[in-house]
Amino acid sequence: MGKTFKAKITLFHCINAFTERQSLSSDHVDVKVVKMPCSGMVSEVFLLKAFEAGADAVTILVCPEGACRYMEGNIRARKRMEKTQSVLDEIGVKGKRLTMHHVNATDPSAVERIVSGILGDLEELGPNPAAL
Amino acid sequence: MIVGQQKPIEEIKKMVKPYKKLLILGCGTCVKTCFAGGEDETAALASALRMTFKIDGQSVEISQQTVERQCENEFIQEAAKKIGDNEAVLSMACGAGVQAIARRFPKSPVYPALNTTFLGVQESQGVFTEECLGCGNCGLGVFGAICPVTRCSKKLLNGPCGGSQKGKCEVNPETECAWQLIIDRLTALGQLNNLRTYIPPKNWKTSHSGGPRKLVREDHIL
Repeated sequence: MGKTFKAKITLFHCINAFTERQSLSSDHVDVKVVKMPCSGMVSEVFLLKAFEAGADAVTILVCPEGACRYMEGNIRARKRMEKTQSVLDEIGVKGKRLTMHHVNATDPSAVERIVSGILGDLEELGPNPAAL
Repeated sequence: MIVGQQKPIEEIKKMVKPYKKLLILGCGTCVKTCFAGGEDETAALASALRMTFKIDGQSVEISQQTVERQCENEFIQEAAKKIGDNEAVLSMACGAGVQAIARRFPKSPVYPALNTTFLGVQESQGVFTEECLGCGNCGLGVFGAICPVTRCSKKLLNGPCGGSQKGKCEVNPETECAWQLIIDRLTALGQLNNLRTYIPPKNWKTSHSGGPRKLVREDHIL
């Protein structure tokens, strides 16, 4: 399926992993950014609500492994992402729409590459069927 | 606490299919603690159901509320208005909570969103173990506060079976041998002599085997 829609991405991020200096949105994509003190705050309900609110893809940016300021926040984020992916598969939204990436705050361009990668994935996945 | 686990969404969808206006009712006590039916889980299930019904092309209005305890009328009352405003209730409580809602609101169909699994404890974060069968005749005082009725696969009351290996149960090697635990604990407490007391065959009439049970506290009845 070719991407013929303006994608909506919700990006949850730990404030220690990424700082939004300029908008990630463009003519092709709307990126809604939700910052958190630690990625360990992310929960199943936040992720599902993002999809319910119309996101075609949701991603969580977490600190590199072993670098979480609160020790295990990024591990908790991964566990919750996996659980939510299984719910998304169960309800027909497709768990692949939800991803997590380890990013380093010293490499801000990494996030632009992540957004491009998600847009590439959305060409296959198409728009969120629950948002139509 | 009463430990429960959410049913598969497909099963839930089948139960509530006839309804266009549905209340998902959470319970803020036991099932909240085991991450199955508290406020967060209620909101997550509501969101998931809204999305899946939308994908299916079904128009279902879903609202949510969580009360402190679904097994007590005082708390149930808080949900009366929303229950009255909806065609059916999807309860995220244990089986007792589901039935308490049904009893209090005889005209509202009530469905369980959880499978009630056992009476247990949180052994570690996210790990729950069964600790009590509710047999109605507690002998924990003799067994060093470790229940062989619940935790011994063979429910032996007068010592171990001899089949345990390295402290693990021969029925399921992932389960700790309850009798090993009992002996270790009684030894540490200096109460190993407890095991000289013969425990006669258990009278299961006080358990659910004797039929549904009822407890009447005359001192609390006016």
